[in-house]
Amino acid sequence: MKASTVRRVGGRLASLFASLLIALSLAFLLGRLSGDPTATILGPMAPPEQREALRHELGLDLPVVVQYLDYLKGVFTGDLGQSLQFYQSNTSMIADRLPFTLQLVGAGMALALLVGIPLGVLAATREGTWWDRGASTLALLGQSVPVFWFGMMLVVLFAVKLGWLPAGQSGSPKHLILPALTMSVYPMAHIARLTRASMSDALAEPYIDSARARGISTRRVVWRHAFTNAMMPILTIVVLQTGILLSGAVAVEYVYSWPGLGQLALQAIQFRDFPLVQAIVVFGALVFVLLNLLVDVLHSIVDPRVR
Amino acid sequence: MSALLTLSGLSITARLADGELRLLDDVDLEIRRGQIVGVVGESGSGKTTLARAVVGLLDRNVRVDQGTIAVAGEQVVAPGVDRTGRVRGSAVGMVFQDASRSLNPLLKVRTQLAEVLRRHVRDITRAEVERRSVEVLAQMRIDDPGRVLASYPHQLSGGLRQRVAIGLAVVTRPALVIADECTTALDVTTQTKVVDLFRTLVDELGIGLLFVTHDLMLASDLCDRIAVMSGGRVVEQGDALTVLDHPQQEYTRRLLAAIPSWS
Repeated sequence: MKASTVRRVGGRLASLFASLLIALSLAFLLGRLSGDPTATILGPMAPPEQREALRHELGLDLPVVVQYLDYLKGVFTGDLGQSLQFYQSNTSMIADRLPFTLQLVGAGMALALLVGIPLGVLAATREGTWWDRGASTLALLGQSVPVFWFGMMLVVLFAVKLGWLPAGQSGSPKHLILPALTMSVYPMAHIARLTRASMSDALAEPYIDSARARGISTRRVVWRHAFTNAMMPILTIVVLQTGILLSGAVAVEYVYSWPGLGQLALQAIQFRDFPLVQAIVVFGALVFVLLNLLVDVLHSIVDPRVR
Repeated sequence: MSALLTLSGLSITARLADGELRLLDDVDLEIRRGQIVGVVGESGSGKTTLARAVVGLLDRNVRVDQGTIAVAGEQVVAPGVDRTGRVRGSAVGMVFQDASRSLNPLLKVRTQLAEVLRRHVRDITRAEVERRSVEVLAQMRIDDPGRVLASYPHQLSGGLRQRVAIGLAVVTRPALVIADECTTALDVTTQTKVVDLFRTLVDELGIGLLFVTHDLMLASDLCDRIAVMSGGRVVEQGDALTVLDHPQQEYTRRLLAAIPSWS
């Protein structure tokens, strides 16, 4: 490996680590700013001595700096603390809910890619035609429609009126269809628009005309020459969108009572279960940092110029 | 001997938002084997449209109104007819203006050459692809074909990229090569080398070359015949020396007068 590569990778890792640390600190700080959790846990009528005892038990009577350092130490040793309402380790609760969110996000993103990319490519290769206008309008709609509303409309249509699919909860592949469809709409539209823009830039590059002049088939010119060159921004968005959805597809999970991380986060916030909120935020930050790293790796695989 | 390329009465029109624009108007042109024909004119004279029409790379809003294009006696373009796919990359090779950017930045030179060979040479073996790739780079006067084949475009100098681009156009051994302003982006030294390379290729391979340029002096150095274009028409056409020494048309005289001279 070249020295410049080592330097670049090192710099990148350092900056990711710094982002992670900032996210961790913010999660801690916001938890402290939201007031005294003992009031919520014990109720407003609880006697002061009892609340004092709980504060002691939770370590809230220690100086903030000590609490902060304890917290950091926990994070880096894989201990995200205990939930105040479930009396369980936060790590194991996140681990229990994660598979559900993964299913949902996996299915949703797969659908988004499967529809969004061909739609964008279609629009770009037929720029200015009705195909293009139709696809762009559809994408605009997809990006503007509120997720919770769209989710409820799907429930009304497919669960209530037609009775084809369950209205909520998990358990079978059938349960996954509506939530995944709802989740896919925004990223699908985003991917379609980005693909359209990125492809139409790539198609205008001189190497595209050159490839066509060499007699290369249209399909190959579009996919092998234009799409691979247009792919990087799309890849970046796909990965980052995945990150956003992984750390809390709150609206979708709420509408469909889907037992994923988003639901868990909602419950934690409602109960002022600050260790759990913190743990979920930390998990989200970690996922983001890792996905950012993944984007860098993918970029260097696709483009020899950044190796 | 029949002509490699024949344009007869070719007229091409672009449909624009505010009406129609004649890009080519009744153009006749012929190229024979071993011949270099220069098409000279200012920007907007229609010379690039002419070049792109032969390989079927006209924009969507552009159509052929009248006339025909024939490659090696086979008609490929006529009003409502586009059979350029049959000659594009096989019988006709094309080199573009900005060679640096006419290579796909994500693919090695080897991959790009192999793609063209596989497309046009039926059942070609892996070894044959490699042999012909090395051969064509050597023809381009590239000293270390092995290294160039294994390189990505950004790892090569501008001059090398230009040679690779020309190599990509001729590796399928087309009878006709079209070069569209392909020396414009180069410095004078590299330009001379590329022009020499074209001359040698025409002599060695016996191909015909359609050399599109705005540079009258360059054309006179390289070409056997010259067609001067203006406003979509060929205003004058003949032997390079005749056109330069005894221009018949006012426009050609003005073009010549515009060249700065030492005296």
